Amino acid sequence: MKIIGKKDMKADRSLAEEIARRSGENVFLCYQCRKCASGCPNRKFMDSSPTELMRYVQLGMVDEAMKKNTIWYCLSCHTCSVRCPEDIDIPRVVDTLRILVEEKNIKADDNHSRLFNRLWMTIIKYLGRGYEVGLVGALNLLSGKPFKDLPLGFKMIKKGKLKLLPSIKKPFSMMKMFSRARKLKK
Amino acid sequence: MKLAYYPGCSLHSTAIEYDLSTKKVCEALGVELVEVKDWICCGSSPAHQSDELMSVALPAKILSLVRETDDLKEVCAPCVSCYSRLRFAQESMKDESVKRDVEEIIDAKYPEDVKVLHALDVIVEKVGTEAVKKKVVRPLAGIKVACYYGCLMTRPPKVTGKQQFENPTYMESVMEAIGLETVDWNMKTFCCGAGFALTQTEVVLELTKKILADAESAGADVISLGCPLCHINLDGRQQQINKKFKTNFNIPIFYFTELMGLAMGIDAKELGVFKHLTEVKDFLKERVFV
Repeated sequence: MKIIGKKDMKADRSLAEEIARRSGENVFLCYQCRKCASGCPNRKFMDSSPTELMRYVQLGMVDEAMKKNTIWYCLSCHTCSVRCPEDIDIPRVVDTLRILVEEKNIKADDNHSRLFNRLWMTIIKYLGRGYEVGLVGALNLLSGKPFKDLPLGFKMIKKGKLKLLPSIKKPFSMMKMFSRARKLKK
Repeated sequence: MKLAYYPGCSLHSTAIEYDLSTKKVCEALGVELVEVKDWICCGSSPAHQSDELMSVALPAKILSLVRETDDLKEVCAPCVSCYSRLRFAQESMKDESVKRDVEEIIDAKYPEDVKVLHALDVIVEKVGTEAVKKKVVRPLAGIKVACYYGCLMTRPPKVTGKQQFENPTYMESVMEAIGLETVDWNMKTFCCGAGFALTQTEVVLELTKKILADAESAGADVISLGCPLCHINLDGRQQQINKKFKTNFNIPIFYFTELMGLAMGIDAKELGVFKHLTEVKDFLKERVFV
């Protein structure tokens, strides 16, 4: 008997195993009941549903799991994880995928989310606390939308909701924490 | 009663009225809040999306700072994102190898005995609605409120300890204690889009529109909430939503502490309610100060 596409029948478990090792979540428990997909408030914007994402990870389909916009549209709202009959922490799986994308420097349809994360982490590393004006300014410039939300920003400054200058708290102890974490990861 | 107070970055900027009103209301209820010494950012979503270790280390450091603040063992975190990150970190720190790495990063001993409470938990669990009732001098009767919890105040229950995570009712008990009428509605734990406000704004507009529309159709005059991210989306983006979807929303969005403060007779300006982007002046004139 000739099996068509026999070569493609192999499933690669390595992605699921890496996720299990790093997050403690076993995606093979998923039996595709779709409760997560039906409750997901953001499904409309995603290339695939959370249920499909679980399947891609089970089968090691890296491109579908990591290069599409799905993981970058997860809100981490935990509607899915609390309804999952197998108690899989789906947002944790998504976070681990995001971290893998960042570490392997994969080109992904991330809608500037990675830029946002990098800017945020850099700001708190050097200042200790958040600095909205600097964050929005840098994000808008680097993502090519310099005037985005400008009227809203002005209104907030007028109302005293945004500080033009950052407050700096113990920057050296924060920088040391970041550098110790980097050493540990190596 | 004395608690450590961790305002987080939002309460020192975009949610300044939440900071003001929480402090005022707690003071009036006899709860002393001591701000955590030299607190740092909890890392929020960008940390858990990009760095496994720092997403635990930052909250763990904050918890160690709590213990250094007058040796306190309970901390009030009014921002839901901070509250959630602190509680998630406590779960992660149960793993011995994570704990070892994190203690090395924060260069401090991690305290296991800190209890993390949201500001609403402080009111419900520590103060109690009966004590709140006794402080009411201006009951907000005749006003209908939709209590909005958002996602992370109740979810996931293994982290928050809240058993009613699909249809919680404890904010309602506080609102009823100060004289408001609560409405039944569908979106109380629906996500507003939270931290996507800057990168995927279209998501926030879409989800927030659904929340506002449901509150309005349930007959709510105002929405009450306890999260700076929800507030900036529901309050700050109403005009953008009206423009995009051709709607006509003009719903005052209050922090639950602001409504409590108003009912307790605290000066509206001191509570910061005029800092909202969806103006509340007319509403207060017609419905509260009559």
